[in-house]
Amino acid sequence: MLITNLRLAWQFYRQEKGLSHHRFMSWTQAILMIFIVTLSQTSNSIQNYLTDNLNNLLGADLVISQTSELTASQQEKIVELSQQHTVTKSLSTTITHQGKWQEIKLKGVGDVYPLQGELKTSYSLNEQAQTTLSGPSQGEMWVDSRVLASLSLQIGDRITLADQGFKVTRVLLHEPDRMMEGHNVDMRAMINVTDLDALAFPADLIKHRYLLAANTQQTAKLIAWQKSDLPAAQISHKQGAHPLALFWQRTENFIGLASIILFFMAAIAIEQLTHVHMRKEKYFSAVCMSLGASKATGIQISILKWLFHWALMLPVVLAISALLHAALIHWLTATFSDLAWQWNMLLAAKSVLAISAVLLIFQLPIWIGLKQSSIVQLVNNIELKKSVWFTSSCALAVLFLVAFAYSDNGLLTSMVLVSVALCIGLILSISWLSLTVGEKITQNISGLVPFALFMMKQRLVSKSTQILGVGLCAFLLLFILMLLRDLGNTMSAYQRQHDGNLLVSQATAKQMIDLSSWAQENTIPIRQRKPYMHAKLIGINNQQVSEAIDKPSESLSTFKKSIRLHWSADIPSNNELVDGQWWSGDNPNWQQISIEQEVMTDLGLDIGDQLTFHIGQQNYQFTIVASHAYKPGAGSITFWVQMPASALQHIKAPHYNMASLELTEQQFTLLGDLWQQHPTLRMVSLDELTAHFDSILAMVTQVISGFSVIIILLAFIVVLSSSHALEAAEKKKNSIIMSFGFNKVTCLKLSLVEWITTGLIAATGAISGTYLAGVLIYQSQFSLTYQPDFLWLIGTMSIILAIVTTLGVYASKNSLKSSIRQLLTE
Amino acid sequence: MLSQPVSRIHLDNVSQSFGKNDNQVHLFSDLTLSIEQGRSYAITGPSGSGKSSLLMLMSGLEVPSKGSCYYINDETTSPLQSLRNHIGFIFQQFHLLPELTALNNVALPLKLRGQKDAINRAKEWLKKVGLSHRLHHTPKQLSGGEQQRVAIARALVFEPNFIFADEPTGNLDTKNASDVADTLFDCCKENGAGLIVVTHSDELAARAQHNFSLKNAANQFISSTSEISPC
Repeated sequence: MLITNLRLAWQFYRQEKGLSHHRFMSWTQAILMIFIVTLSQTSNSIQNYLTDNLNNLLGADLVISQTSELTASQQEKIVELSQQHTVTKSLSTTITHQGKWQEIKLKGVGDVYPLQGELKTSYSLNEQAQTTLSGPSQGEMWVDSRVLASLSLQIGDRITLADQGFKVTRVLLHEPDRMMEGHNVDMRAMINVTDLDALAFPADLIKHRYLLAANTQQTAKLIAWQKSDLPAAQISHKQGAHPLALFWQRTENFIGLASIILFFMAAIAIEQLTHVHMRKEKYFSAVCMSLGASKATGIQISILKWLFHWALMLPVVLAISALLHAALIHWLTATFSDLAWQWNMLLAAKSVLAISAVLLIFQLPIWIGLKQSSIVQLVNNIELKKSVWFTSSCALAVLFLVAFAYSDNGLLTSMVLVSVALCIGLILSISWLSLTVGEKITQNISGLVPFALFMMKQRLVSKSTQILGVGLCAFLLLFILMLLRDLGNTMSAYQRQHDGNLLVSQATAKQMIDLSSWAQENTIPIRQRKPYMHAKLIGINNQQVSEAIDKPSESLSTFKKSIRLHWSADIPSNNELVDGQWWSGDNPNWQQISIEQEVMTDLGLDIGDQLTFHIGQQNYQFTIVASHAYKPGAGSITFWVQMPASALQHIKAPHYNMASLELTEQQFTLLGDLWQQHPTLRMVSLDELTAHFDSILAMVTQVISGFSVIIILLAFIVVLSSSHALEAAEKKKNSIIMSFGFNKVTCLKLSLVEWITTGLIAATGAISGTYLAGVLIYQSQFSLTYQPDFLWLIGTMSIILAIVTTLGVYASKNSLKSSIRQLLTE
Repeated sequence: MLSQPVSRIHLDNVSQSFGKNDNQVHLFSDLTLSIEQGRSYAITGPSGSGKSSLLMLMSGLEVPSKGSCYYINDETTSPLQSLRNHIGFIFQQFHLLPELTALNNVALPLKLRGQKDAINRAKEWLKKVGLSHRLHHTPKQLSGGEQQRVAIARALVFEPNFIFADEPTGNLDTKNASDVADTLFDCCKENGAGLIVVTHSDELAARAQHNFSLKNAANQFISSTSEISPC
């Protein structure tokens, strides 16, 4: 029996595969499969690369980093627990040469450096790299090629740093412990550690890294020792995860989360196609049943057909995914050099199975529909209402599954879902309102437009789905395009307006005094000035951070390093209270803290939770009493963590300042003197900020453009599917209209009016949705006030309208091939 | 004595065939006939004899393989296509739009023509066909006979010169078929529209003033005029 059904299923599969609804369904399913398989393979390649990278670029078996130097007893301990060790000291500073300045990351290394791996240098820019067995001698400085270019340096030149002269002797090409710098793009220079000590930089600005050679047992002991004795220190080891691994996990999750949108569009397309598909399957089942076959046979053949379809689609999907994966790896080699293409068959199988399960859920309503059907229902063509609800439930289930699988950040997930839900609600409301009002207003007006509105109103449910599909596609495209365009504009305009064009990110108390008097002398206005101290989160409710939180998030990765802790008696003017109660000035309890709203959500914190911070050399416990959020309009320097000003009397730690200044173009030349005086003063100009931002934006643009292509493809399928789903009804409508004495031109005009109306409503919904999403997401994710460019939006709306109308009318071409004879022969 | 016809459709020596070369099928040959506005005609014949094709030729929706068809109005001759706006159709399967109520189905052709009082006139017509109590029912909520009455009202509401009906009672039981036929002939008569009915039913054909009978075997065409009063 099975063999017979297999043969029948194969025969019918081959007959049906060329049908439009079958083709659209295949495209939709293939796009989803390709997307998920490519994403998982690419992510896997990056994770593998990072693991290799960890092993090759740590420069040691284990690295302990912290701001302060280890005490003598601690140093004894690491000597005891390791086979060999060396220390490097690094800090951000600014070097000057012939009136030019450049901020660099300066590293001081000892004689044992490098401990493991290869240090590579050269004597000139064009020379081949040489493996160097130790770091620079005293009085020498090795700089990377970008520093040479930036300061117009030559090998042999002398450079001044805090009144001490250094001779530039080599080009620094590769440091074996480079991975510890993550992916920062700071320019780099290396000197002997004795010289660095002689420069007498403030101790709290120097990052100390202890590079240790240790076997597995020693590594385990060192990890345990660090947990108990050095909780504020960062530890990396070859048996652990790459510091960037969580970041890439998060990137994959974010892209995966964005795929909710793709699944939603696919759900719309599949829902539309299911109508046609179910009708055909039911008809086939009716024929089978009328010929004496059982209901199960019909269902079995339908399932087998689906399996044939799936099995034949798979090789194509895998081939395209492999090609796209290779292209992505090629593109990513700009960021991860040596990243190689590798195909993980097991992972591919897992991804294919997961997405197949999703497609199976989409398919279920058809089989359930067939199971519930009977000959009487088939003959009378009774629609099973339950199936419609079941289809929608299945689509919703899929969306929740995808959201659940990829969600690691409650707030972002909710925002994506809320934005999509808002847009859906908005488009449905606009559809209902505009068609109802339009039909009412034009009730007594003659012409094709009132008639088209009347017909659309009568077909409100099916039309709304069509409009929703088109509208959502437009919304997504518009939102990502807008995000790209507006983010850059709004950010630079906003910073310029509120923050001046020079941002001081770290100035010691002494530096701030000198900076203020320098600003006063040169009549440079200081726009903002806010004090802070460094604090490292080491415990949540008396648990270690890693034990208390296991979900990766932006906030968690920032908290792995020291954060800036601000103090303020009152709520800062650019903050607002979201939850809890801000402390009053006369409250003797200083161990209170306010945490930024999104951080609270990311880390799953609540009012009343206890946080332990390592500040200076001591641990302090605070209770979360309030949660604050950024409020635009009073400068953008804001802090995630704030405590009462009264806490200063109890905490001994160096104070720093953040500030912003507005300089004229000529005044920028005065910065050289300031930096010569204070090489560790961290300042960044708006131009540098913008350049850094632009490079990030360029990468984001490329990722989003790729994503847009998938959205556009799906959007085309949604329009074609929705048109295909209504084709039979449209064809009949056109034939009936022709039977009233009208010709095909009238039908074409009607189709045009309907698609223009569809496009208009969809574009209005999309633009309104984009506006709402902009207000929601810009504010919470980027702390920016969304200022849309309405001219740009109207221009975009016109483009959407033109594309939707053209595509819609093209998709309706079959329904225009109607004739009265068809009505006669039915 | 019959009233002077307002306009008429004339088919002059027309033949209709389809297919190519050896596979050509001849439906009818050298057929000449006139259809006058205000009179009723039945086209009968076995399946495949070309009844529907003749209907399509008469309505100007298809062109004959040979011969010519034209429309004569007050001695002015024009192509049949000029009649396009003044003809209505009634189908065996009713072909009402399922999502529209009876009232909106009937108002449809008037709305398309931009007539402001579409709804009121549709109500009048539904009253004429005896469905004033079914205005807001959708086709699914109506019986076959009621659906066909709605279709008749819809075809006549824009006052066409000619009505072409293809097996209008083919889907109805005897009682309903008789009632619908009464409505159809009465309404055409009242409206002064020419009625051309394609049917297998002898009872329905007998109601028409003229009967065109097509016979398969020898491509025979027989025209006869009945003695019943004109509509």
